[in-house]
Amino acid sequence: MGRENIFVGLEVGTSKICVAVAEAHHDGTLKVLGVGNAPSRGVRKGEIVDFETAKRCVHDAIVDAEEKSDVEISEVYLGITGGHIRSFNNRGVVLLEEGREEIDEHDLEDVRTNAREVSLPVEDCILHTIIQHYYVDGQDGVLNPVGLFGKKLEADFHVVYGIRTRIQNAIRCVKELELDTADVVINSFATAQAVLDKQQKQLGALVIDIGGGTTDFLVYVDGAVKQSGILAVGGDHITNDMCIGLKIPTTRAEKLKSEEGSVTLGTAFPGETIVLRDETGFAGREIERELVNQIVHLRVREVLEIVRRLIDGEQNLHYIGAGVLLTGGSSQIRGLEDLASEIFGMPARVAHALPLAGVTSAFENPQFATALGLVKYAHLAHLDRPLEGGLFSRAIRKLSGMFRA
Amino acid sequence: MVQLNRQYDRDEESASPISIKVVGIGGAGSNILDRMVLDGSEEIQLIAINTDVQSLAGSVATHKVQLGRTLTRGLGSGGDPELGLAAAEEATEEIRKALEGGDVIIVCAGLGGGTGSGATPWVVQLAKEEKALILVIAALPFTFEGRRRCAQATASLEQLGASADAVICFENDRMAEIALPRMGIHEAFAAADLTISRCIRAIVAILRRPGLLKIGFDDVRAVLRGRDSRGLFGFGEAVGENRAHEALALALKNPLMNRGEMLHDSYHAIIYIRGGSNVTLGEVQTIMEELNRHINDRTKLFMGISVDPEMGQRLSVSIISSLGSPVGPEVSRLPQAVPDERISKAKSEHVIDAGRSVPDKPAEFPEPDPSCSDALLPEMDIKRFSVPEREPVQDKESAPPPPPKEPAPKPASRAPDVKKAEAKQEVLPFEPVSRGRFEKSEPTIVDGQDLDVPAFLRKHIKFR
Repeated sequence: MGRENIFVGLEVGTSKICVAVAEAHHDGTLKVLGVGNAPSRGVRKGEIVDFETAKRCVHDAIVDAEEKSDVEISEVYLGITGGHIRSFNNRGVVLLEEGREEIDEHDLEDVRTNAREVSLPVEDCILHTIIQHYYVDGQDGVLNPVGLFGKKLEADFHVVYGIRTRIQNAIRCVKELELDTADVVINSFATAQAVLDKQQKQLGALVIDIGGGTTDFLVYVDGAVKQSGILAVGGDHITNDMCIGLKIPTTRAEKLKSEEGSVTLGTAFPGETIVLRDETGFAGREIERELVNQIVHLRVREVLEIVRRLIDGEQNLHYIGAGVLLTGGSSQIRGLEDLASEIFGMPARVAHALPLAGVTSAFENPQFATALGLVKYAHLAHLDRPLEGGLFSRAIRKLSGMFRA
Repeated sequence: MVQLNRQYDRDEESASPISIKVVGIGGAGSNILDRMVLDGSEEIQLIAINTDVQSLAGSVATHKVQLGRTLTRGLGSGGDPELGLAAAEEATEEIRKALEGGDVIIVCAGLGGGTGSGATPWVVQLAKEEKALILVIAALPFTFEGRRRCAQATASLEQLGASADAVICFENDRMAEIALPRMGIHEAFAAADLTISRCIRAIVAILRRPGLLKIGFDDVRAVLRGRDSRGLFGFGEAVGENRAHEALALALKNPLMNRGEMLHDSYHAIIYIRGGSNVTLGEVQTIMEELNRHINDRTKLFMGISVDPEMGQRLSVSIISSLGSPVGPEVSRLPQAVPDERISKAKSEHVIDAGRSVPDKPAEFPEPDPSCSDALLPEMDIKRFSVPEREPVQDKESAPPPPPKEPAPKPASRAPDVKKAEAKQEVLPFEPVSRGRFEKSEPTIVDGQDLDVPAFLRKHIKFR
């Protein structure tokens, strides 16, 4: 069993599995002890499709993190993604019974439960009910209603749900490695915790995590999660487009994408080429640079435009004051910032995880943003709710709560 | 045949070198002359023509002609082209004397000013009477210099276009791209002058230097004489391992080339490679292969290579071309009295012309006119293949110039490959819809579109 104040974030990504290990100090700071990663196989579009292979990869990543951080990992916060995950905003209402006017903790629980009471397809389960705003007797701007007097407590929540069996696959994968899952968090929410500071959340920000298999986005408005979404299109699709368009093998396309891929059009000389050296199983070839860029551009533009449409559809675009923050492995593609600023009409930049104490190299790589976000989420959750009982029982409670349809 | 050719070149060189005169008109023109002298020009006759005596006195040109002795009395023309023209007319005899005997007269001037835009057309007119090949190198004013100057420049340019054999325009606005915005204004102008003087030197070198693959006077004329006589010029020089690639990239980066885009619209291009005795076959091949991608299928390429020990480790690439389609009769006049390979070229040229008259937009080339490319191919082959057939074996034994002799054939032999590859790419978008590696995974459908299918296929984007 590890030390009690250790938090581990595990993201089973499509191209990479990342693990972050952090230690909470008594003064409320978090120190990253180490990060581990392993290339991922058996995962498509953010979901496990080959259980045994994926399990081995997760194992490798966990071992890597254990070696680097010198911690024996026993429990993880698991990042979840996948095209099946959806979300909506809902308001819960609780009327205080006669004779009682002071709002207490139980009312908060009740209002949350009330907001969760929506009819979802039977196979779905709720992942998160993230609080947005409280209203007491219709008055808004209430940050913490506990202790306030009122007759009616209302609260807006952002509810995230997905197909239960598919979420369970990821949990089972961790479980078979003799690890406990403390909590399941959607990747975009975790990532936002890592890259956004309080001010940006207040101003309104859009976080887009373009990973290998999925593009996860999350909108913060007025300090609350307003919208989230997952598009099962990511860097793999860019690679696939290149394979088909350029007729080159996947591994070669992958390399070409990371070495040369750019979304900026018109910067290559007409006829400028990229030479692919011949290697075993692949005869060398020359490929027109503009062609490569065009393929990448069209795909990335499409993804960003879909995200824009979704956000605009809920009229959230105008409330984003702090701009767009791009993260995830595919955010390293050249020219992405400019393209995103153009599409969203606001400043966009590739964001790194906000620095914590400890292993600094982890913050420089946007690939680790989600894993770091998970430990940050864990830390916040830990601070929010002091433990009732041991970690293990808490985990059970959480999990069982989660699967309550 | 080639052996013979080389012999021929040598004879010509020793017998009568072409007389080249460079005339600088107005302030800008004499600045360019000065720059040429500073950079160490070859033995070219430099003639400065100006109304302003002070500027003329400061010029380092060997011949000087003062315009408007009585009209402006040694002062400038005050930005009035009519005054400039009148001053030039006054000095007609002097100018004529200075231009006498020139085979090629290169006139450089900054258009927009009084002397530049007023006197230049007149000087060109006089040069034409000398039956010389006239090449005008004009620097156009910055847009910020005002509309009036720009209008004067445009008017003057039109006149020049009508009478000169070729006009190469250096737009100052574009030239500004060479210099960084924070560069000193002096440096910036010097950089512009340097580019122009390089251009002149490259042309002179092409005309003068005994090339291994020689570009003739007639070739230059064919390239530069177009209906739209705006010329393109790019120059690049590099040293080191990757010098061939770098020199070409530099040449294409030249602002006048607009990153090579302009080359697509031209019908003729001269590429002139100059290097020390260590130029390799591979380097020439690299340059030609890369260049082949920048030109469209109809462009006729003249390649010249010269080996000059002076160059040492450096390798320079100059590209000269002009926009627009060539004037009909000019082309057919070209092949007179040239070796028989040229005649076959001329024949194919006629075919090209016929084919070309149908699509009159030269800029559009996604679907190359089959008749054109077919007609052109044999020509290119003849020009390039004719050299290698007998050559290589003999050459290995013979002494000094052989090594670069071989380079020519290789690019040609590779050229058809490149074409094939391009043709293949065009077919690409019409293939059946494919999801590739996502074939078996759950489809991601947004707004009725299967996002697993490549975006470019769904948008029916046709790649060139």
